[in-house]
Amino acid sequence: MPQLDPTWYVSQMFWLIVCFFTMLFIMSKIILPRIAYIMDKRQRRIDNYLEKARENKALAEQSLENYQKAIAEATAQAQASLEAMQKELDEMVSKRQEELTRKLGKQIRDSEMKIAQGREEALAQVNEMSENLAWEIVKKIGIKDISRKEVKNAVTAAAEE
Amino acid sequence: MSSPMEQFKIEPIIPIQVGGYDISFTNSSLFMVLAVVLATLLLAFCLRRRTVIPSLAQSVPESLYDFVAGLLRENVGVEGLKYFPFIFTIFMFVAFGNVLGLFPYAFTFTSHLAAVGTLSVISLLFNIGIGIKKKRLGYLRTFLPRGIPLVLAPLIIPIEMISYLSKPFSLTVRLVANMTVGHIMLKIIAGFIMAAGVLGVVPFVFDAGIVVFEIFIGLLQAFIYTVLSCIYLSEALHEH
Repeated sequence: MPQLDPTWYVSQMFWLIVCFFTMLFIMSKIILPRIAYIMDKRQRRIDNYLEKARENKALAEQSLENYQKAIAEATAQAQASLEAMQKELDEMVSKRQEELTRKLGKQIRDSEMKIAQGREEALAQVNEMSENLAWEIVKKIGIKDISRKEVKNAVTAAAEE
Repeated sequence: MSSPMEQFKIEPIIPIQVGGYDISFTNSSLFMVLAVVLATLLLAFCLRRRTVIPSLAQSVPESLYDFVAGLLRENVGVEGLKYFPFIFTIFMFVAFGNVLGLFPYAFTFTSHLAAVGTLSVISLLFNIGIGIKKKRLGYLRTFLPRGIPLVLAPLIIPIEMISYLSKPFSLTVRLVANMTVGHIMLKIIAGFIMAAGVLGVVPFVFDAGIVVFEIFIGLLQAFIYTVLSCIYLSEALHEH
């Protein structure tokens, strides 16, 4: 078995030591630093992106908060202005109503006054007509001892009854 | 039919003698150098353009990196990442040694006790160094865990020492045995192909399947070797 032949033991040991340490040197000085460098760079970039993503997330959350606050504010404002408008409208309506009521009341009073006047006038005319009629009757019948004044008094008294 | 053991034979390519020691550049050395060169070239090629969004090629070294880093994190903990280059090199060296050996006419240096044993001893010395640096004299506690009565010390200390020193041995034997057996099997079945004539297509298909299986075994053994190195490193760093 050539494995057990000691002739080449020293040679194998020597060359193994030479080759192994050469390879160790090449790996640790050239190859591995390159791999480590690029992997480290990648890791740093990923971390960087993650950091940026976190920042953006915070920013987005802040924006959302601001947006919600703005919406709440706008809603409150709209509510307030709606209420103010309602109040103004209510006031205006009640004012108009009052005015109208007043105006209508005045018209009613005026009309009532006019009606009363008309009635009085009409009544006066009726009295006069009754008086004239009564006078004519008196005259036609030929009653001499009744004066016009007496007739008038009598008619007025009858009308007032 | 050539012997299935012939593939493990070491042939000198450039004879070198230093101080009475034969350190000739052999086919074994050649494949060690190839493993280093090819692993370096492959990784360097994949990493020629380094972009934040990795290309398909770039994701290969990155996956390997993540894989080994994950092994270290799981078996040793975060402080183990300091020794990442060492563990990564072990994994790449063994994985390339195993897989390169599967090419026709290739030599599998991980099938030799001397080579893998040296690697395991390097790993052991590395662990001892780290353990002593971390725990100073407390490292000797490895051989006499806390809570053991002093009376038992003469019994426990040799047992712990043997178990400690057997770790690189078990590491070595596991890898070497796996590689050797796989290659012997490949070679024996390959021998049937020509011998069986037309029916040789059966062992041929079988052999092709075994090659695929051996690629898997090669990577798996590299993985096991690395995981065990991690565990031994963890024992050097932590109390047990």
